[in-house]
Amino acid sequence: MAEANAQPNYPTREKVDFVIVGSGAAGGVMAKELSTAGFSVVVLEQGPYLKAADFKHDEWGYDVNKDLTWGSRQGYPQTFRKSVDDDAVTRESVLDYAHNVGGSSVHYSGNFWRFRPIDFMEASVRGPISGTNFADWPITYDELEPYYTKVDWEVGVSGLAGPWDPPRSREYPCPPMPVKSSDVLLERAAKKMGLTPYPAPVAILSQPHNGRPGCIHCGFCNGYGCEVNAKSSSMASMIPLALDSGNCELRTGCTVSRVNTDENGRANEVVYWEEDGREQAQLAKAVVICANGAETPRLLLASESEQHPNGLANSSGVVGTNLMFNGYSTAVGLFDEPVNAHKSVPATRVVHDFYELDPSLGYYGGGGIDARHFSAGRPMNAALAGGLFGDAPTWGSEYKKNLQKEFTHTAAFDGHTTSLPLATNTVTLDPNVQDKWGRAAMRTTYLDHPDDISTMKFFYEKSMELLDAAGATKSIGSYTEEGQEGNVHLLGTCRMGNDPSNSVVDKFHRSHDVENLFMVDGSSLVTSGRGQPTMTIMALAFRAADSIIQFARRGEI
Amino acid sequence: MIDTQLSRRAFLRSASGAAKGSIIILGLPAILVSCEKSKKANLLNEKFSVLSKEEVQEFHAIAARIIPTDETPGATEAGVIYFIDNVLNDGRAAEHETLRIGLREMQAAAAQKFNVSYFHELESEQQDQLLTEAEGTPFFGTIRFLTIAGMFSLPEYGGNRDKVGYELIGFEDRHAWHPPYGSYDADYAERGE
Repeated sequence: MAEANAQPNYPTREKVDFVIVGSGAAGGVMAKELSTAGFSVVVLEQGPYLKAADFKHDEWGYDVNKDLTWGSRQGYPQTFRKSVDDDAVTRESVLDYAHNVGGSSVHYSGNFWRFRPIDFMEASVRGPISGTNFADWPITYDELEPYYTKVDWEVGVSGLAGPWDPPRSREYPCPPMPVKSSDVLLERAAKKMGLTPYPAPVAILSQPHNGRPGCIHCGFCNGYGCEVNAKSSSMASMIPLALDSGNCELRTGCTVSRVNTDENGRANEVVYWEEDGREQAQLAKAVVICANGAETPRLLLASESEQHPNGLANSSGVVGTNLMFNGYSTAVGLFDEPVNAHKSVPATRVVHDFYELDPSLGYYGGGGIDARHFSAGRPMNAALAGGLFGDAPTWGSEYKKNLQKEFTHTAAFDGHTTSLPLATNTVTLDPNVQDKWGRAAMRTTYLDHPDDISTMKFFYEKSMELLDAAGATKSIGSYTEEGQEGNVHLLGTCRMGNDPSNSVVDKFHRSHDVENLFMVDGSSLVTSGRGQPTMTIMALAFRAADSIIQFARRGEI
Repeated sequence: MIDTQLSRRAFLRSASGAAKGSIIILGLPAILVSCEKSKKANLLNEKFSVLSKEEVQEFHAIAARIIPTDETPGATEAGVIYFIDNVLNDGRAAEHETLRIGLREMQAAAAQKFNVSYFHELESEQQDQLLTEAEGTPFFGTIRFLTIAGMFSLPEYGGNRDKVGYELIGFEDRHAWHPPYGSYDADYAERGE
């Protein structure tokens, strides 16, 4: 690979066509699309460029030391509170995302459910929900469908087309992953209950595709980087193409502090620190922020100026609001025979019969259920959670004995659910806590809407029924009755919309306020979908890149 | 010395592999206990980075109750104490302080209840009683966390020696699997579902 040689070295004091902030699910797609279209691109990524050979099955390193996701240990504390009336306290793992080229697409599970047509127009169909910002998207499923298909083929998705799937214009490039025992249990139970389980679409290659190898089923997907490049991260699928274009300079270890504007209010410069603390500023004709649903609003808020006193692109005041996590429930069952759910990809079947809950239940919500390992197949986490069933001890000889069954003979039926957009769920700048650069720490204020909690409860109960039907000898489950206090899905904080008074970007991801500034990532989402957002984030990035390229070619940026 | 280590390693590997329904299991505890004894003697001569000798003895004894050595290896065989020393030396002064404070309280309880100054000098039942009473405290939470983490994290951090923790729970540390992964998908394939 000549990728290192192919990289240009753009002077910081000359305008490049685009600076892209962040190289994750959206940033990687954006970098590839813009650079292969012939534009000069600088990508600023705060983390390192880790590749397949750098990843390990290292629970202590990844889960405790946070080698990929970073936290206080690396100098990036975050704070949390449930409401503005509470004091925000410093906490680990509030908004968790990987800091490396490819962002969280490197360590995600790769569950690639497309959103469905209903997701884009649910507010109209269901009617408004008082006290929330529940709204239709300014685009439809049909407008996004070609880009979902682009993700399928260019990024690499495995699955099986069928009547259970949202409409698609083309087959999956790779067949579904081989079914796991945990999913056989789910499938049989679901069928017994009259439901329609089907093969889970995943961004993990079941066979070689686009020059990358098929999965070897090591089991370390969720929270880990793929050691063979079978997982379709933007690092594995997009960044190499961007670098091969000869137009893309990838600057790693670069932490962006603000986006500056010129006298006309246009974005013209991105300021950042190199790893050694040296401050740099790259001039640009246009800026695309793909930093994720937490970092993007933080950067905009931190980029306040006389011209933009509420923060950049924030005349609406909604930057950082409408944060959505997706809800989650789990139910773990013990089975007589070995399940070994720790092997292979997280999930190979999904039940989408409850995508839209019956309105007669009295609350809004919906989601899907898949089968997984209760600790994502991780031995240390399994043991820390040990003593799962009943009043089993959590240390000592009996605990130790139970661990042996708990790790290999269990399946977890997990619910992945909707979150409503609320003005009160926010990412803001903490006035009291700073990170290693002296920037205000990210402060999260979040409390699930009562409907979101009811939905989690519905899925928890449904999963418990499924475990019964599957023949579990013991079972236990949970959901967050008091509301979630952190997540890895960071959605909605710079929402897309037609009305500049209640949205941050237009349907092409262009800032309503700043003509040459685009925000493209989880922050653009208007609604949360059913718990697997990255497929949609990547599809939006392909679509946004298409429009940005057209705007640039027509001189409209 | 090296030979002993190697043969013990080989023994443990074959023993735990055969443990399910084999008579070899009957001979195991006695051998493990003797291993543990020799290890205790060694511990005092070994160099630790942040743990004092007293802490080494005490935390070692506590870890051995949290994941005891019985039919299968426990925290002792996994070398959990070395893991604890390593990770406390890695930017975890606060956790070390939690352990120091908690240990003093536990020793005070040992003196008050059993008239013994050190946890490691108590009988197993007495040790378990004190630990049960400490459940829910930051001290117990921290020492339990570190013991389990030391048993089940990568050996390069100092514990999980010979991957005894992985073997205990049926986790084989390898990079490639092929279906069938478990009984149910094997059956599914057989029936052609």
